[in-house]
Amino acid sequence: MAVFDTLGIAGSSLLVHRKWMDAVSDNMANINTVNPYGDEPFRERLVVAQAVDYGSGEGGVRVARAEFGGDPNGRVVYEPDHPLANEEGYVRYPDIDMGDQMVALMMAQRGYQANLAVVERATSAYQAALQLGKG
Amino acid sequence: MSSPIGGILPVGIGAVSGVAGATTGVPAAQNADGFASILASSFDALQGTQKTADTLATQAATGDLKDVHDYMIASSEAALATEMVVTIKNKAVEAFNEIMRMPV
Repeated sequence: MAVFDTLGIAGSSLLVHRKWMDAVSDNMANINTVNPYGDEPFRERLVVAQAVDYGSGEGGVRVARAEFGGDPNGRVVYEPDHPLANEEGYVRYPDIDMGDQMVALMMAQRGYQANLAVVERATSAYQAALQLGKG
Repeated sequence: MSSPIGGILPVGIGAVSGVAGATTGVPAAQNADGFASILASSFDALQGTQKTADTLATQAATGDLKDVHDYMIASSEAALATEMVVTIKNKAVEAFNEIMRMPV
């Protein structure tokens, strides 16, 4: 319903932040995923957000696409005892920084919370407006 | 000599016509069955909102729900829309009763 557009707009942002948290959790889950030297390592997942033009009458934000970040070659680590190591003793780790991921996780969480606050405030504002009709 | 409310009238009419030009719902109210059709269309919209909330509630119960906030937003939107339609209905009934109480 067009009357309660704020809720839909905040909802679209909640979805984007949820997907961002998904991407960060994917990155963190695979931060220690080791690949053989000859294979491509796990690539950092990045979510690209895009504004939905308010002039379209819709408003909000959406995930345009997901992209790969970090070095495509990953980090080459010397671990001769590793079962996946090549003859020279090297394996590939993904090029993901735990600090960056923690910061991204915090930003995603705070963004999600901010939009939940928008939903709460908008709901109570609409309810207050409807109280006008009760008198 | 001009009437004491003469200055107020043009402002009021101007303001009302300005509102009517800005929104889409108000001009329909000027038709003979304007209010009834507005009420009917808001009932339709309410039904759509409640259907969405129902679908999401089913998904939540069966474990198919992808986003928790989707259901929460849909349910609070349905509650708000219901409250709004009920308020409009109460106002309409109130106006009708007011007219019926008019001494003839």
